[in-house]
Amino acid sequence: MHKLLYYRLIPVVFVLTAIAIWLQPDFFERATGINLPIGQQPQLTQTLKVDKPCTNEHPEWRAAQIIDGVEIAESLLCDPDNPDNIAAFVLGMNNISMRTFMNSRIAGDALTKSDDLDGDGDPDIIHIKLEVLELNGATPDSPGVFPTYDIAPGIQPGMWAFSPKLRGMSVKNFRSQKANAILRAPSPVIRVEQGDKVYITLENTHYFPHTLHFHGVDHAFQTSSGGDNDGVPVTGAKPVMPGTTRTYELQPRHAGTMLYHCHVQTDKHLMMGLNGMFVVEENRPNNWLQTFNVGAGHVRHSSVAIKEKFDREYDLHYQSIDKNLAKTIQNSNDIRVISKQMHRVYNMSESNENYFMLNGHSFPYTLRDALIIAKPDENIKLRIANTQHSNIAVHIHGHKATITDYDGVTQNPAAQITRDVYGVSAAQRIDLHLQTTNDGLHSYGEGIWLFHDHVEMGVANDGMSPGGNIALLVYESFLGEQGLPKLRADALDDVFTNSYYAKQRPLWNKQEAGMLTPDYLHILLFGLLVGSIIGLVFFIIRGLRSEGIK
Amino acid sequence: MKHSLLILIYFIYGNSVFAAMNHNGMIMDAAGMIMNHNPDKLPKDCKAISQDIDITIRGGHKFAQGFAGKMFTYDKRDWQAPPCARINVTFINEDAIRHQFMIHGLPGYMYPKGMFTIELYGKGQKTGSFIVPSRDYTYYIHCEVSQHTEKGMKGQLKVGKGSGDLDSILGLTAPLTPDIYPIHNNKYTWIALIVSLTIGIYLINYLGMKIMTLLTRQPDSK
Ligand SMILES: [Cu+2]
Ligand SMILES: [Cu+2]
Repeated sequence: MHKLLYYRLIPVVFVLTAIAIWLQPDFFERATGINLPIGQQPQLTQTLKVDKPCTNEHPEWRAAQIIDGVEIAESLLCDPDNPDNIAAFVLGMNNISMRTFMNSRIAGDALTKSDDLDGDGDPDIIHIKLEVLELNGATPDSPGVFPTYDIAPGIQPGMWAFSPKLRGMSVKNFRSQKANAILRAPSPVIRVEQGDKVYITLENTHYFPHTLHFHGVDHAFQTSSGGDNDGVPVTGAKPVMPGTTRTYELQPRHAGTMLYHCHVQTDKHLMMGLNGMFVVEENRPNNWLQTFNVGAGHVRHSSVAIKEKFDREYDLHYQSIDKNLAKTIQNSNDIRVISKQMHRVYNMSESNENYFMLNGHSFPYTLRDALIIAKPDENIKLRIANTQHSNIAVHIHGHKATITDYDGVTQNPAAQITRDVYGVSAAQRIDLHLQTTNDGLHSYGEGIWLFHDHVEMGVANDGMSPGGNIALLVYESFLGEQGLPKLRADALDDVFTNSYYAKQRPLWNKQEAGMLTPDYLHILLFGLLVGSIIGLVFFIIRGLRSEGIK
Repeated sequence: MKHSLLILIYFIYGNSVFAAMNHNGMIMDAAGMIMNHNPDKLPKDCKAISQDIDITIRGGHKFAQGFAGKMFTYDKRDWQAPPCARINVTFINEDAIRHQFMIHGLPGYMYPKGMFTIELYGKGQKTGSFIVPSRDYTYYIHCEVSQHTEKGMKGQLKVGKGSGDLDSILGLTAPLTPDIYPIHNNKYTWIALIVSLTIGIYLINYLGMKIMTLLTRQPDSK
């Protein structure tokens, strides 16, 4: 007899359900009322780490010094080149003392210099051995990458580089994952003298085939024995397979700033970093050259011809990284998978450039080793190479320099152009004559002058600015003790944290827009309603059942 | 010829550019300007000035500091005046940049474009007057320097009973197109939901039982 009553309760369930839907609170997001939520501290996905702008590992490397009779110029940078390496690169491994050899990490046969063929006091037969190294590659032994090489705080893209043949450990010490200082980007600048007989051997230590191609450097199509000498698999020999070697022969007749790079799957391999500057210096008597400039930048032992005209010389190598290409070597330790990911899945025609480096580092690490240091009234030689996809438009604040050479060919002096933005397309090189004469044209005086690519994506690290290839021209009067410019005390606080380029550090006000607190009253009301609906449904079912039994 | 004309123009106007000028209710000098200054002309519907209302309104970044996510505002954003009042506004700019006190909706036949404006080019203050008509109306006050209104510099003046509140006045009204923010849920959110749910279930069952026992008892007692 109560069955009817239970049935009459069913519409109540529907009414309550409608009310519950109508009163449903916002559980995950909601519009603000009158006031916006208060700010909150940013959520960091990693513990905050603050780098020192300069670790000052080798202050003794900065002074001018003579090692094994080789004059090495002063280099006031935070992170100067190792003078023992420079002595070895000038003399050749066959002409250095045991002490210098022990202090370098270069293989004994990496560089051999002999035979003064023209009797002018310097060696004319040069044997160079290059290896291929991988930075921030995959490892099956840890979730991270190995060996680590940070281009900027917390940024470790997978990269390749040519390297002088090395010996010993690749990391700083056996507990460290960090690549030792000589394992770095970019591929080293190679310097040879006009007329030298140069034999460059690629010892392919890598797991993919590679070659060497000399771009703009005078070389015959084939070696004297008929071997491949242009490095292009389509027109010459098969690439140099992993674990094998090939020797290329050069006797350049023309001096200038040139390039070398791998010509296997060139789009990918070049962008991975297998490219470097190749400088042919004019022939002079007693011209012992610094064959390698590891990490490019300041040349601490310039050629005789450069010293005749210039007070200092810098090699400036601009590169970019596509983070998707860089990742292809970080996700597997199966070379078949890596090869597929890099060569077939990755599509260069859909490429983006995310990181921009000057001499293997992005700002703020460029402050450590990519500064141009100057004094007033100096003549400075800058060799600029662009091996990224996009054009660079280099601008030096406060200065107008003269473009003296294009792609290793001297411009007619009457036609040379003095300007303040230097456009350099892919694979192009220019030589600049920078004068630090405070005359209102060439220089506006001493200071800390930014120099950077004016194609604006180039001054950010994956879109986070300041970054990219930003570096500084610093006059010595503005240079601090550890080779860093005298900046405002807090100028670098943000950029040397690991959270800044992870995009987790709010700019200026240091707070994120906060979240809203839950609307408890609304939630409780809703809970009661839903509870009532469930309870009522049970009540009706139970009631109908017991009535049915009767 | 051209030159002498330019020189002539310079002598006539050049010196007076920054000297105070006042014509047609426009007062300007090097510190700022007042537009449609009106201390005496009565609106058609007012027979006399009902009252003199003196208001001092400050503008600047510091007044927005109590409001999360905003940049500029006035110290007070909600004003009141009786019909036919003469309002003497002292606008004080506390920032080193340009700000305005601009009010809209005044009768166009005496205030061109219906506006009265005090603009200050930097730190400083100016006083100007306008007379409001008799109708109940809410007038829109703002600073029109690019994005200042949107980022907080907005207020209202209610004459008489006003005509409702304007949207998105800091501390007073919600925006018409609000931002959506995530809700910070924690375990208490879910505890509240589950507890209220359980209470709901038991409450209904308890009530139901009570009612049913009442209903079943009645026939017995007959
Ligand atoms: Cu290759
Ligand atoms: Cu304003």
